[in-house]
Amino acid sequence: MSPLSLLWSLMTGFRLRYAFAITALLVSSAITYLVPLIGSATIDYALSGLSAESGLPAWIMHTMGGAEWVADNLWLPASLMVILTVLAGMFHFLKGRAAAQASDGIARRLKNDLYDHLQHLPAKYHDNTDTGDLIQRSTSDVETIRLALSNQIVEVFHAALLMVTVLPIMVALDVRMTLVAFALIGPIILYGFFYFRKVKFLFRQVDEAEGEVTHRVQENLTGLRVVRAFARQDFEIQRFADPNQRYRDHSIRLIRLMAVYWSVSDFVVLLQQGLVLFTGIWFIAQGSMTVGTLFAFMMFLNILLWPVRMMGRVLTDFGKSLVALQRVGTILQESRENPTQPLLIPQQPARGALSVRNLSFNHAGGIAALNGISFDVEPGKTLAIVGPSGAGKSTLMHLLLRLYDYDSGSIQLDAMELNELDRKWVRSQFSVVMQEPFLYSKTIGENIRFGAVGRQEVDLTSVARQAHIHDTILGFSQGYDTLVGERGVTLSGGQRQRVALARALLRNSPVLILDDALSAVDAETENIILKALKERRGQRTTLVIAHRLSTLAHADLILVMDHGKIVQSGTHDSLITEQGLYQKLWQMQISGEEI
Amino acid sequence: MRCLQKLLVILVASGITIAMIDASFALVTRWVVDDVMAKGSDLNIFQYALAYGALVVGLAVGVWIFILQAGTLSNSMSHDIRRDCFRRLQELEFAYFDHRPVGWLISRLTSDCDKLARIIAWGVLDLVWAIFLISAIAIILVVLHPTLGLMVLGVVPMLVVISAWFQKRILLSARETRKYNSMITASITEGLNGLRTTKSLVREEDNLGEFKQLSNNMYDQSVLNATQSAIYIPIVLTLGSVAAGVALWQGGILVLDDRLTLGDTGGILSFTPGSFFNPINQMAQVMVQLQSAQAAGERVLNLLATQPAIFDTEDVRERMRHSYPAELAVDGREKRIETLEFRNVQFEYIAGQPVLHDFNLTVKRGDMIALVGASGGGKSTIVNLAARFYEPTTGSILVNGRDYRERSLQWYQSNLGIVLQTPHLFGGTVRDNIRYGRLDATDAEVEDAARAVNAHEFISAMEHGYESNVGENGNRLSTGQKQLISFARACSPIRPFLS
Repeated sequence: MSPLSLLWSLMTGFRLRYAFAITALLVSSAITYLVPLIGSATIDYALSGLSAESGLPAWIMHTMGGAEWVADNLWLPASLMVILTVLAGMFHFLKGRAAAQASDGIARRLKNDLYDHLQHLPAKYHDNTDTGDLIQRSTSDVETIRLALSNQIVEVFHAALLMVTVLPIMVALDVRMTLVAFALIGPIILYGFFYFRKVKFLFRQVDEAEGEVTHRVQENLTGLRVVRAFARQDFEIQRFADPNQRYRDHSIRLIRLMAVYWSVSDFVVLLQQGLVLFTGIWFIAQGSMTVGTLFAFMMFLNILLWPVRMMGRVLTDFGKSLVALQRVGTILQESRENPTQPLLIPQQPARGALSVRNLSFNHAGGIAALNGISFDVEPGKTLAIVGPSGAGKSTLMHLLLRLYDYDSGSIQLDAMELNELDRKWVRSQFSVVMQEPFLYSKTIGENIRFGAVGRQEVDLTSVARQAHIHDTILGFSQGYDTLVGERGVTLSGGQRQRVALARALLRNSPVLILDDALSAVDAETENIILKALKERRGQRTTLVIAHRLSTLAHADLILVMDHGKIVQSGTHDSLITEQGLYQKLWQMQISGEEI
Repeated sequence: MRCLQKLLVILVASGITIAMIDASFALVTRWVVDDVMAKGSDLNIFQYALAYGALVVGLAVGVWIFILQAGTLSNSMSHDIRRDCFRRLQELEFAYFDHRPVGWLISRLTSDCDKLARIIAWGVLDLVWAIFLISAIAIILVVLHPTLGLMVLGVVPMLVVISAWFQKRILLSARETRKYNSMITASITEGLNGLRTTKSLVREEDNLGEFKQLSNNMYDQSVLNATQSAIYIPIVLTLGSVAAGVALWQGGILVLDDRLTLGDTGGILSFTPGSFFNPINQMAQVMVQLQSAQAAGERVLNLLATQPAIFDTEDVRERMRHSYPAELAVDGREKRIETLEFRNVQFEYIAGQPVLHDFNLTVKRGDMIALVGASGGGKSTIVNLAARFYEPTTGSILVNGRDYRERSLQWYQSNLGIVLQTPHLFGGTVRDNIRYGRLDATDAEVEDAARAVNAHEFISAMEHGYESNVGENGNRLSTGQKQLISFARACSPIRPFLS
């Protein structure tokens, strides 16, 4: 879709409001031109005693009651000027509000659409896309589009309307003067347009330099502990100096060009005004024009020149908006995670039987793949997976959640093929705790409650106790209402893991997945938690990924993975007697504990 | 400061010149019109055209100097403020950052610095220009015709009051709009960062509902802002037309009585609608911006004025001014850490809530000490104290028998190797991240460090090996891989103490 047709379709539902805004603008402008005309007609006919000829000013004078009558009642043109200005102001107000409602309405809908769309794009899309770039597209690009809709489009219409409406009036007043008045209008617009097109790259350079400054500050502050731990303050100050200077230098270079632009532009505009003034004076000296007409022309020129001066800038900004539209458009055109064909949504929750056959999966880069995995888990059993970093453990979990689609082989949940089930249904059959769990910047209570399906009242404390986090939460001054994150408390890794565990327990899905979920919790606490989890055994299928082998002793089945394959399987007792990776890991960990 | 004053003088001077020239155009117009009325075709048009041309050139040059100087000044100032702020942030102790979110600090260094510099350079000058232009017009009006001039000037106080009233509200709603805008940005960021969690919790609809609330709030504020401007501008234009009306009405009567020339009336008329609007509007805007810049300025100056609580004492700095033989540290004492001793250390993050009580520990070079205990037992606090991220509330920590506050902070910390629980990597290549531990490490040394912690194998298996980009905060790597790289980073220098 081209950016312009995308723009047109974005305007759906708001087109009428735009039409209204432009009509109001037209009316408001038309009235605005009448005001100087009344002034000039009064000066010409009532004050300097010229006789009214034909034409617009004469008609205005006639309508007001004739030159002599007006000369005796000068309050009339004066109050007419005020009344008409008020009237024009009312229409200006209507236009301003309608344009804002339309453009902000479109921007709001666009933002909502983008947000929703991003949530439904596949994990694979997000893996290959820079988060910062997506954020920029959904915020500043949308803002650029909003400005185009509220200002630029209206400005272009405004300038065009001004020309179209003023031109006949000016021609009616004096053709020669009209030609003089428009002599430099074209060059002014062209100058602005080409100038801004030329400096566009400088604007981008300044933006980029500013982004770099922000980026450096952010990296420095988020890595504060590392910077201090290695005493790298001077190095960091050095590294900051570079983008900081670049930002300043680019900005100054831009301002130099801007200074040239504005002074040349002022020069040309004043030249245009001077041209009108002195040609007018010449005509007056020749006796072929009146002083009133000269004043009228000078006022018209004043009305015209500002939008004309802005036109070059508006046109380049509009070019920027088209780029923004394109960037936003590419996101919206990405297809969502759920294919259109109807997928199976079972009515009953799953029992939790998992059967994996010959499962293979390749990441885009070809790293961390799964290669022909097969295993079975009966409902209520506990399966443990161990293996070195990059063995494919987490990938397996992602496939179970349908965050990615597997290439070959099969995964069956209760004998139903996962690929044929609705993703959201599949995900609601699992509760997951990840190694670095994500908590929303809301209260601790809300974060746990997010596990619950629906809106029913739930008992947070019992799951918090099972996850051994209840006492910690009560230790915060606001208890369960304590905010998580920058605005509230910063939780330690272990505390985050336990909050996420409470959330997962509250969810109470048929399958619980713990992806190295207690790695940051001390061993004693881990034991207490595992004991609590054991009491739930038999009800829920549990998948545990862990490095601490002692915690896996109770698993019904342990899979040992390496390089995307299952290299060993069995119970803890059988595996420690068997030569292989498990035994090696076990011996390393035991000896480690003895140190 | 001297050069700043000089720049300010140039700026003020060019502001006044521009204001004067702006005002003179109307005078030229008046003279030439009156002259043509009196002389008709005998008029010497060229002398006026010449005067007009001179004014045009003068104005163009004035505008050029004005923008150039103000822009240079404003950008140089914000550069310097930002540099100083960043330096100060490097010196401030950890406790300073405990309660200040990163985003908050970033705004201090970006938008606040810019705002402060902009208002000083542009705002003050716009104010000078506006005040001088308004005064010049007022004088001309009164000279042309005292009574008429004063009548026209009658709208000015009203214009000022109304402008200030509206600008304040317009700024307020603009600020609210920006506030919601940054909340929306935060919400999108969170949505993207927590994407997998959202998907696994099937929370898409709830998230969207919350997001819509924010975008609705922003819509309301943004439309309010546009509506306020849409009311304000017509009111100002109406006041302008009242002044023009008065000039036409009363001036017309005077012309008919032959007590005023037509050129004077035209001159007065030409001043009324447009000329007042711009400078007064400008003035009102600057006044309101000054208030918000004041807040920004206070925040920046506060940051600059905050003295670091952990720093080298005067004594240490005095010692570091001398140079010492290579076998001594920069502060002229032993170069190697032989012992580290906690002596009766008590520490509290929040006053009255001690985390450590009377803690004693002595570590010798080569010792391996393991700290075991439940979460919240103070293990990390001991590390924070040992690293001098914090200093003991009472008691002392001795390095080679000397309180570490008597040693150079830079020397001490560069002799530690610390691997933190949550491994943090910087954006950039694997190699850059490992080299952060010792900036002059050769490529081979970097790889040796990686081998030492068993990270070489997976790094070599990556697409670009050591040149692979780890992504922002290292998020292209798994947690385990990040941990290994941060181990390698701590190993790359020969560091006597690891914690």
